Amino acid sequence: MMAALGQQITGALRGSCRRPGFRRGCQASLEQQFQTLRLDSGANQKRLMTTGDYSDYQRAAEEQINAAPPLDLNSLRLAKHARAIPVSPSYFSRQSQFNDSYIVLQKLAQSFKNLPRIPTSDVERVNWSSLENIRQVLGEPIRASDYAKCMKLVKDLHAIHPQLKVKSVVDALEFFKHHTQGFTNVAKPIPIDKFGRAVGVGKRKSSVARAWVVEGTGEIIVNGKTLAEAFGRVHDRESAIWALRATDRVDKYNVWAVVEGGGTTGQAEALTLAVAKGLMAHEPALKPALRRAGCVTRDPRKVERKKAGHVKARKSPTWVKR
Amino acid sequence: MSVPNCMRCLTRPSAVATAALRPFTVPVSVSLTAAGRVAAFSTTPAQQATPQKGSKTPAGRMDARIKRMANGHVRVGKRLHVGGKKGGTRPKAPLPGERKAYRKRIQLSNSNALPVKDLAELDGEHMLSEKNVAKVLSLPTAVIDQLRTVEAFKPTQTWGLFRDPSLLIRPETVDLMNRMQDSVANKQTLRLVIDGDKLTGKSILLLQALTQAFLKDWIVINIPEAQELTAACTEYAPIPGTEPVQYMQQVYILKLIQAIRKANEKVLSRLTTAYAHPELPQHIPVSSPILALANAAKEPDSAWTVFSALWKELSSNIRGRPPILFALDGLHHIMKISKYRNAAFDLIHSHDLALIKLFTDYLSGQASLPNGGAIIAATSRNNCPVSASLELALEQRLATQNGEEPPAKKPYFKGYDSRVEGAMKSAQVLRIKGVSKLETRSLMEYWAASGLLRTTVDEVAVSEKWMLGGNGVLGEMERASLLTMRL
Repeated sequence: MMAALGQQITGALRGSCRRPGFRRGCQASLEQQFQTLRLDSGANQKRLMTTGDYSDYQRAAEEQINAAPPLDLNSLRLAKHARAIPVSPSYFSRQSQFNDSYIVLQKLAQSFKNLPRIPTSDVERVNWSSLENIRQVLGEPIRASDYAKCMKLVKDLHAIHPQLKVKSVVDALEFFKHHTQGFTNVAKPIPIDKFGRAVGVGKRKSSVARAWVVEGTGEIIVNGKTLAEAFGRVHDRESAIWALRATDRVDKYNVWAVVEGGGTTGQAEALTLAVAKGLMAHEPALKPALRRAGCVTRDPRKVERKKAGHVKARKSPTWVKR
Repeated sequence: MSVPNCMRCLTRPSAVATAALRPFTVPVSVSLTAAGRVAAFSTTPAQQATPQKGSKTPAGRMDARIKRMANGHVRVGKRLHVGGKKGGTRPKAPLPGERKAYRKRIQLSNSNALPVKDLAELDGEHMLSEKNVAKVLSLPTAVIDQLRTVEAFKPTQTWGLFRDPSLLIRPETVDLMNRMQDSVANKQTLRLVIDGDKLTGKSILLLQALTQAFLKDWIVINIPEAQELTAACTEYAPIPGTEPVQYMQQVYILKLIQAIRKANEKVLSRLTTAYAHPELPQHIPVSSPILALANAAKEPDSAWTVFSALWKELSSNIRGRPPILFALDGLHHIMKISKYRNAAFDLIHSHDLALIKLFTDYLSGQASLPNGGAIIAATSRNNCPVSASLELALEQRLATQNGEEPPAKKPYFKGYDSRVEGAMKSAQVLRIKGVSKLETRSLMEYWAASGLLRTTVDEVAVSEKWMLGGNGVLGEMERASLLTMRL
């Protein structure tokens, strides 16, 4: 019984049928089919000739056939399911990078779930890739919900105590970091030279100002001139010293400044920023006050370029009927 | 001849005829052609009611546009104006010269400003003492009138913001006043040019000199705007018998004599003439009052002769003659070719104008005042014609005063004027700059006391205004804090 089963399995694996007498009957019926055909071509003549030797060939073959050895079923590990399951769950998705990374994260989160996390405020700040960004980088249609779940894991793993964070976690998180890290980009501090000067640079419109700020009694020289000579408009003069005025430091510092480019308003407001930066070099604690006074952020507006087909940047030529 | 009343009017009794009988007349339309007939009551505006024909009132002008019907009826009422000027109620245009008078008016007091308490009045000694530096002092009323007469106040100055005109004493003021004092003591002539950047207070310093001269009973002659003499805006004529020809400016000089007479009346009334002046149109015997001499100038034609005689008397080396202050503002205007032309239609040099020649002779040191006195000129930097020689001379004098090497002429520059160089060859130069923070503080306290400055005057506020005013330039500080007030 066992032997018969073994033969069947072997046959199944070889892909052939070993039923006795089947082959001969089959051959006979084939012969009959050939006979019924009207064969008159040269090729068929030849074929008929070869069929004349077939019985000799068969006889020789039957003498050489040996049965396959019986299989040891114990050595075979049969699959649980009828169909094989792929190693990666991403096997069936065409683009699988995100999913793979997500799975890695899930496994890591599972295995390191008992490690201590540090408070959110102490966690190193990182610019994570946004959904839009990660979609573009990978070229995969990522669902927002998947992304959100993924980022939750990312932030959880990122909060693991740095001394306990293993390399596999660090490597896995690397995948989700934005390519530019704003928080690591720290501005170079402005030095104060041996004469006590700090030079700040400010820009506005087309003007560039450099201001050397030094502790003093409140004198200002702009391009070798006094403030009144440099700026005819009182408003511009007030703009130029606005950083000092907003922080009540008018009588504490002297300023020697060089401004070039642009018009009077641009120059005056470039000076605001330049003086503010110089002042921040002396007193970094003034930064919030200066920011509230609008002396920290550069106004990015510039002259809009002229466009082809327009009279100016946006002005269109007058409409003329033909 | 058309009937005086229209058909509609005829339907009712005439307004005049029934005025006494019917005082409660409803609006009655009265024919305007019936001259002298006046409605007792009308709802039409008075302007449109009965204009006098051909009168220059707005209503009269409107009369020309009133539609008159053939039968004498007048359509008065709202008319449709399409385009063009609307209505006949155009405001009256100012008379010729009225606008300029408004622009040039000098207001020395403002009743809306608070009076400043404890403000000392200037006397002859205040401006001589160093300890009064950075103090604000008020001008005495008598001197204000005198200063007004010699036109020492300028319309651009901010007198009109304060209750009373007051002055800030600066170190330069004390310096100048002491130099003036020394000139009298040594019987020498102080020849000085006040120079400085725009709005630094040159004219005010000149005004302080004039004030001091009035307080010290000097004789004061002031030319408030030198450009009036050289811009060809006043009459001129050659002075007969002069070689090279000099020109007098009769009308201006007549006005100047009257100003001298009025401003210095107190001093002049004490003086008598020492010379006979046969050239005068009027006989003035020796030992007659000098005021009589000044009064002799009645006509522009004789003005220069009288002025020459007056100057001869005042500048003569006689005991008891008071010192003279001869001041001029706008020096650049007399250091160039004037706009006047001679008989050959060539431009006349400013120094050929007799009055200016008199001034430059004393400024250059060719002539001197035997009883002491001062010749002071102030430059004006806003209205400042180009004068390379004057600029060079100012730099050279300043360098020499400071013990430095004076700058040389540019070798290939042709714009120099030898007459200007001659006039400026030995004058002193007083260059003024911005005021110190102490003076700024004093001035700001005065502003605050007058109710013009509404911030606390502390170190920060003083520094800020000082900085905004271009490191203490007085006029700029006034601009930054008073003239651009955000109330």
